[in-house]
Amino acid sequence: MYTKTIGIEIHVELKTNTKIYSNSINGYGKTANSNVNVVDLGYPGTLPTLNDAVIRTALKAAIILNCDINKRMHFDRKNYFYPDLPKGYQITQAETPIGVNGYVDIDVNGETKRIRIHDIHIEEDTCKSIHYKHHSFLDFNRAGVPLVEIVTEADMHSAEEAMAYVEKLRELFLYADISDCKIEEGSMRCDVNISISKTDELGVRAEIKNIGSISSVGKAINREAARQEELLENGKEVTFATYRYDEKKDETIMMRVKEAGNDYRYFPEPDIPFVELDDEIIKEVTESIPMLASERRKIYVQRGISELNANKIIQNRDISDYLNNFLDTDINLVQASNLLLGDISAYLNKEEKSIFNTKLDTNKFIDVVNKLDKGEINSKVFKDILVDLMEKEDSVDEIISSKGIKIISDPEELKKIVLTILENNQNSVNDYKNGNERAIKFLMGQIMKETKGSANPELVNKLLEEELKK
Amino acid sequence: MSKYLDLGIKELHNKLVNKEIKPKDLVLEAFERIEANQDLNAFITLDKEGAIKRAEELENVESDSLYYGIPIAIKDNIVTKGLRTTCASHILDNFYPIYDATIIETIKNNNMIIIGKTNMDEFAMGSTSQTSYFGAPKNPWNKTKVSGGSSGGSAVCVSAGLVPFALGSDTGGSIRQPSSYCGIVGMKPTYGRVSRYGLIAFGSSLDQIGPMTKTVYDNALLLNLISGHDDKDLTSSRKPVDDYTRLIGKPIDGLKIGVPKFFMSEIVSDEVKSKVEEIIKLLEDNGAQIEYIDIDYIENAVTLYQIIAMGEASSNLARFDGIKYGFSKKDPEGIDDLYESTRGEGFGEEVKRRIMVGSYLLSGDNAKIYYNKALQIRNGIRESFLKAFEKYDLIIGPNATTTAYNLGEGLDDPLKTFLDDILVIPVNMAGLPGMNVPIGFGKDKLPIGLQIIGDEFEEAKMYQLASFIEEKLNLDLDPFKEVK
Repeated sequence: MYTKTIGIEIHVELKTNTKIYSNSINGYGKTANSNVNVVDLGYPGTLPTLNDAVIRTALKAAIILNCDINKRMHFDRKNYFYPDLPKGYQITQAETPIGVNGYVDIDVNGETKRIRIHDIHIEEDTCKSIHYKHHSFLDFNRAGVPLVEIVTEADMHSAEEAMAYVEKLRELFLYADISDCKIEEGSMRCDVNISISKTDELGVRAEIKNIGSISSVGKAINREAARQEELLENGKEVTFATYRYDEKKDETIMMRVKEAGNDYRYFPEPDIPFVELDDEIIKEVTESIPMLASERRKIYVQRGISELNANKIIQNRDISDYLNNFLDTDINLVQASNLLLGDISAYLNKEEKSIFNTKLDTNKFIDVVNKLDKGEINSKVFKDILVDLMEKEDSVDEIISSKGIKIISDPEELKKIVLTILENNQNSVNDYKNGNERAIKFLMGQIMKETKGSANPELVNKLLEEELKK
Repeated sequence: MSKYLDLGIKELHNKLVNKEIKPKDLVLEAFERIEANQDLNAFITLDKEGAIKRAEELENVESDSLYYGIPIAIKDNIVTKGLRTTCASHILDNFYPIYDATIIETIKNNNMIIIGKTNMDEFAMGSTSQTSYFGAPKNPWNKTKVSGGSSGGSAVCVSAGLVPFALGSDTGGSIRQPSSYCGIVGMKPTYGRVSRYGLIAFGSSLDQIGPMTKTVYDNALLLNLISGHDDKDLTSSRKPVDDYTRLIGKPIDGLKIGVPKFFMSEIVSDEVKSKVEEIIKLLEDNGAQIEYIDIDYIENAVTLYQIIAMGEASSNLARFDGIKYGFSKKDPEGIDDLYESTRGEGFGEEVKRRIMVGSYLLSGDNAKIYYNKALQIRNGIRESFLKAFEKYDLIIGPNATTTAYNLGEGLDDPLKTFLDDILVIPVNMAGLPGMNVPIGFGKDKLPIGLQIIGDEFEEAKMYQLASFIEEKLNLDLDPFKEVK
């Protein structure tokens, strides 16, 4: 039986306004080469500056990963030739990464496991190469985009653990406003190192670069482990090499053999002085960390939201942030979360909007949740007024009346309707009296149909029960 | 031929303000002189059209700066927007920058007029300017002699009075040594005093831009102009800029001056040594206290320089790959051929040698064995200098072991060029300011210079001593005196 040993390197693009070593806009994805200046192009004579927001964001990441902080750190040059590297070197951190010796706890199959972080360091992204026929094009918008690279120890032993780690890191960074962590768009990139062995001695590892999704991380690991096992079982050796994972073919494909001791000629970057991270900055950054996903999840479950729904909320950062506005208000949080995950999410997805870009302000939301909770409106009415709630400045009451929806809450008026319905549905009345309690739902439905959903459901329920018991 | 360019900045300024002369008169005079002395090969690129146009524009501009209308020559490793900047290399011989160095912006904002770009060693690598792709400049005192380097073109330009105000750069003596050979005043300021943004990097932790002039006073005025913090250069200092002329003309009695024994050892030729001794005597006679001192590791400075400067250069010059700008091999067979052919053909021998040595020094474990170790010892030199400055106001010695030697000499000996700089390199290692002031001539009427080294940001005190010597000696520093 072979044991897999897995270590993961993740590159994450930081959400800053400008690039790391120049004041160009950090806008990779815009028109090619539109966010570029002479520094990004590596023009002769240019020098790097250092974006303070990058240091703070990376520091936040290091704190969240429980790292020891290198309070006096410097940058290093990693020298190699490649067309996507404008200066012929990448400014990175080799000797004094901002954080070392950290950890992340992951949950797999109901058990908590600790994954050690070797280090987290700051570096710049390269150009994007685009190959077309016999030509290669370079998009310098990505050159100088700030990255952090997080390197784990080889602490993972299954595809599930690896996926849980990547998911956990994504969730942490998303909620700490470090990165948008879109693996598909390349703002989060996973490189997996995997080897297999039957003994305590580790096998020769393969590095699978730039895996395109979290589920592919799992698939690539299992596929590569199977490939290695087949080699070893046939008396062959695993080659120390870099691979890519082809999702369509479910295959790991060798890109280049790794040469031992690849020589990047690292040396301290002379253009950037040492950076001192004093206790005050560390304190400031620590205090700036927003409520993270695990804590949100805990609170939601404590407040009665199902674990399934709590997870669904966490998966949508905006919805979670929106819901958090009401943690200290007097509304039914379960009702609120149901609305957010149900009709409201459906609307937002259809319109491709964030809830923060709608007219559903917090007062309106509280009002509408309370109206539903007290039975002043029902879910049908809510559906009818949803679009107006999202798109009009008007209050909930104004929207309801403008729709011509009248909520009948007059007991006398309702009683008449109830009696008419009972009279016309004698069979159901008999069913109920014979012990079929579900019959009351049918009757309720008939009343709602009659009133076009405008009857106060709580009141109708009460009246029905009273009349049926007579 | 008019002779306004024999005047200093202040005198020119007065004449310009009084409308006695126009900026254009100075520009035309500079080009007259340049054209009459083309054999000196001081310039790589001239901007006659641009300079005249600018001078004409300035006629309608009120003089609001001391530097208004004054012509200046710029070493060709400082980028000038739209004006070819070659670093004296084939790889950049068609490179027209799209931005200005910070100090070029300052110069333009002060309405100075850039005349052209001066010759130099390729990428500032050399001590004779003979590694220039455009051929070596000639020493105006004797055209069979080297100008020194790497800022040879600027030194020749100032010495011959073509344009008496110039900028050079100094990584391991490249301002002071040619200033010494050509008999002019040259200042390498404290590391961080002048922005390096737009200076094409050679050894980033050593490079510094500085002024090269006929007189001490003009030198201080130019340093006033180009000094200061720059947000674009993280290594530039936030220390407020001094008025570097403030101590000029002040007496020197009571100044405590150290002379490193190494600077007066057997490595220095007799004629240079005896000239420096004369100066020591002069200073003592005028109330200065002179003592011989030891600076730790000073004799290792050249070795450290080779490791640090070549290591950094190998990385700094990686960007010249034929992809973004500069010379590029046409129709390469793949990416490796593009790199190899572009760099193989684009760089000269000395540059390639230094890139190879530098790459080796940073390879694998070598970075720890050599580079990191060199940084440590370098710190030792710096600390030893700083300790000396607790006791002494200034440190002096020669800048060069000999006077200028024959063109062509030493070309087959790659080590010679480093040994030429044995006296100037320690200052770069320590990040301190160092300057040259002419103190006389050797047997062939070739200039000899004194090196003055100051504590960090103590350039004003250096100018004080330099101006004292300048005034006392009152040397005739016109190399064409006898010809005329």
